[in-house]
Amino acid sequence: MSSMAVPYPVDWILVIIGEVMVAVGVISDLIAAIGLLRFPNFFVRLHAATVGTIWGAFVPLIGAAFIAAGSEFLGMYRWFVAGGAVITAIFILILGPAGSHALARAAHRSKAAVVQPKVVDHLEEDEALLRSEEEGGSGGEEGSSGGEAP
Amino acid sequence: MLGIEGEVVTFILVTVPIYMAAFTLYAVRALKGPTIPDTVLAIDAMTYDLAAFLVVLAIFFRSPILIPTAIVLALWVYALDVYVAKYLEAREMGE
Repeated sequence: MSSMAVPYPVDWILVIIGEVMVAVGVISDLIAAIGLLRFPNFFVRLHAATVGTIWGAFVPLIGAAFIAAGSEFLGMYRWFVAGGAVITAIFILILGPAGSHALARAAHRSKAAVVQPKVVDHLEEDEALLRSEEEGGSGGEEGSSGGEAP
Repeated sequence: MLGIEGEVVTFILVTVPIYMAAFTLYAVRALKGPTIPDTVLAIDAMTYDLAAFLVVLAIFFRSPILIPTAIVLALWVYALDVYVAKYLEAREMGE
């Protein structure tokens, strides 16, 4: 408590690094929201949404951990807040891309969203190939169960 | 001079309106998203950012009880992603 009046220089450094990271996160959060609102369809909006996940959530969480580690006024809970922020950041770093990837794959496979600015779509070609192969394979099995002649 | 506490509190007070603007825009996309993946994607991005915002608010209000809330929120929205992806692919939620 006696060090409350004169903060360590290291606390200032931690707080300023953290504030820069939170500021970057807030600004990219706003950019991601504008992009999500203005982009034309689902697969284009996916770019904006993942900007909002990593730059808009992961980076400010690490910055909040720095701020909490340098904030004397939080008392004994400063390390709890910092550790919780780092754990949440690691969760988001792993789960965010996994979730949007699963969603994108499901939207493509179920044809819930169109692939609009399309140059080439290898996944669709592969799926069509797989489907025809599957049908051909099952047909062939039925045929082979009918007669093994050739 | 402000000191660390005053500086942090002022900084967070400046960031709150920008967060609110971003949440409003995310909510607009979530409400008017033409397809199901659009809605889920907007809710997804909004909730991850809400988890970050809750941690910032935990510093502002000096209340560490908000930290477990942020962790649980991140985990639940991942569960939402996986459930919706599973439903879209297989048209059933799993037995």
